[in-house]
Amino acid sequence: MSSRKKVLLKVIILGDSGVGKTSLMNQFVNKKFSNQYKATIGADFLTKEVIVDDRIVTMQIWDTAGQERFQSLGVAFYRGADCCVLVFDVTAPNTFKSLESWRDEFLIQASPRDPDHFPFVILGNKVDLDNRAVSAKRAQQWCQSKNDIPYFETSAKEAVNVELAFQTIARNALAQETEAELYNEFPDQIKLNANDNNRNRDGDNCAC
Amino acid sequence: MASTSKDNMQNICSHDNPEKDLEPGASHDSILNPTDSFEEFATEMNSSLEGRATDVTKKSSTISEIQSEIGECSKALKETKSSENLLNKDEAISSSVSNSNLQEQNGDDTESELDDYLKSPELVNKEKHVFILSSAGKPIYTRYGNEDKLAGLCGVIQALVSVVEEQNRDILRSIITKDCKAVFLVKGPLILVGMSKSNESETQLVLQLTYAFNQIVSVLTLTQLNRIFEQRRNYDLRRLLSGAERLIDNLLIFMEKDPAFLLGAVRCLPLPEKVRENITSAIISTCHKIRDLVFAILIAGNQLITLVRMKKYTLHPSDIHLLFNLVRSSESFKTAESWTPICLPKFDATGFLHGHVSYISEDCQACLLLLTVQRDAFYPLSQAKHTIADKLRRSYCLTAINDALNRNKDLTTTNPLKHIGIPEIRHFMYKCKSTAQLFTSDPISLDRLQDYRQRHKEGGDVVKKKVEKLSDMDYVRNYREFCSKIHCARSPAKLIFRSNSEDTILAWITNGFELYVTFDPLMEKDLAIRAVDRLLRWIKNEEKRIFIMNAPTF
Repeated sequence: MSSRKKVLLKVIILGDSGVGKTSLMNQFVNKKFSNQYKATIGADFLTKEVIVDDRIVTMQIWDTAGQERFQSLGVAFYRGADCCVLVFDVTAPNTFKSLESWRDEFLIQASPRDPDHFPFVILGNKVDLDNRAVSAKRAQQWCQSKNDIPYFETSAKEAVNVELAFQTIARNALAQETEAELYNEFPDQIKLNANDNNRNRDGDNCAC
Repeated sequence: MASTSKDNMQNICSHDNPEKDLEPGASHDSILNPTDSFEEFATEMNSSLEGRATDVTKKSSTISEIQSEIGECSKALKETKSSENLLNKDEAISSSVSNSNLQEQNGDDTESELDDYLKSPELVNKEKHVFILSSAGKPIYTRYGNEDKLAGLCGVIQALVSVVEEQNRDILRSIITKDCKAVFLVKGPLILVGMSKSNESETQLVLQLTYAFNQIVSVLTLTQLNRIFEQRRNYDLRRLLSGAERLIDNLLIFMEKDPAFLLGAVRCLPLPEKVRENITSAIISTCHKIRDLVFAILIAGNQLITLVRMKKYTLHPSDIHLLFNLVRSSESFKTAESWTPICLPKFDATGFLHGHVSYISEDCQACLLLLTVQRDAFYPLSQAKHTIADKLRRSYCLTAINDALNRNKDLTTTNPLKHIGIPEIRHFMYKCKSTAQLFTSDPISLDRLQDYRQRHKEGGDVVKKKVEKLSDMDYVRNYREFCSKIHCARSPAKLIFRSNSEDTILAWITNGFELYVTFDPLMEKDLAIRAVDRLLRWIKNEEKRIFIMNAPTF
């Protein structure tokens, strides 16, 4: 098993509309931030190469629309994801409360093989703003109660923790990947001889 | 199109044809399974969403059938053919989708990275792109450029396909713009997309995508492919396919150049009847006691020399094409005897055959494939190969093969147009339908095909330049649209005659054959028809050389 192979990770970003999903992605991929708000229609797709422990990893980031009316796309988008990033706005408590249902929704729709250990990451965004309403402690507690989901406080505007958060996302997804690889060696060929008696052939000497 | 006449031309060549019931090349037995690939892919295009799921999974294994027969297992395996779901009512939907709002999101001042890459010289202006991705939207293969950098595009493709599928309960088949066709094919856990600026029809593109899918199946088997994605939908299939990209690359070039794919037929190496007989009997006498041997196939330069088979089993042309492609793409076969698992998707997509593959000798570029269901038969088959090679050398068959391969000027089949003596004919291709075999007036030589865009990762651009001397490949390009008209499911034409200042093309299909001829410009119809009559008589005369007329078994 070679660990030098190319890796591509599918990362889904979920969260209520306006929490800053697209901004986080833009900060991470393009190092840019815009104060203007534009709703995402359906989904955006961006890719970024990161290096994790000497491996080059391509992150295929699916930035989904937070608005209710685009949610029916769910199943298709979540299929085969390697990691899910849940985002809330630290100044808007209801976006924090929604995390539970976003997580449930994802697990139902994506139905990953091992839901208890599927890599999630929670991002509390907009920490640059003064009117904070969800404390770090409260968020951390919730994360701990969900099998210790990693929690980061970020600001897409000021590029706080964004890089670190995505590094962790890549690392955790990768860990899952290699773990699965260990006990999931695919056989080179399928067994076909189930009902073959394997009798000695009389043609071995190719007498003509 | 100057004129399209659908009148029956049955009487053209029937009166003085020696065997009027059999068209040139036809025989009662065929080594090849003469399924018409066009009809097959037309079906593919009309399949329904529900039919698709069962299509790739429910097929019994021919290999285990053979194994159980060899092991004299009494359990009879039933051949359950999945019935292709024929829903004709939903015709191909064509829609144009803009992904502009997908791009607009990323700030006003910059275009997204994806957008930049899509405009790079690596990708822009290519005649045909092929993308393969998993149903999760992860890139697996791209013909040009770097699939990692196309991850975003793959996401968009996956989104388009699934939106149509899940919200509209429908199938996205194609998107047609002014100068480009995009064709989508969902096969098992994979999504295949062809984007072409050439004159290929949608059906022809679907055919090519299906071949690309079958090439992947040939490496992995369908069972393994399905199981991988059942277990892990996020699987990055590139891991298992590393090394096989080259096979897909080559196959795509091959399909654009060789009419064999277009017509779903196999080319045979023209040989004197006696020589072919000797070769076949050398193989039979050597191998008839090897119990598990299913096929012995001798090929050279993408042409079939002979095929000996286990009773009851025939090969589909597309499986032979995959074998041609494998041999052509693998330099390593030239230097050593190889033992390799090969899955032939039409024969049995669920399992591997095991192949002893080697070139007959250093001085003869014919490659022998001995395919068995036995996993550890290398040594007996290696021994058989050497015995066969000796016999062929002693009976001067190798010389005859080399003559044909080097296109010796003394052979009538080397430059048939000279021998037929109809100067107005520039090019022709003929397919005998019952045996699925093909003959063209200017077979693509192996070298030319290999030179052609060998490093096509840099080539493959749309060319506007006019070529002075047309080759087989260029004629094929011209025949494409005639071919799709003749095979059009809704209103198939029997005969198409088009004459203009550049050339005159006649395409004719009967129950027995398909014929495409290019004449000089402004040729008159009755003159052309008389020429075709003579041409058919020549083919009939030469049929024993240019076609394999029997279907030998071990």
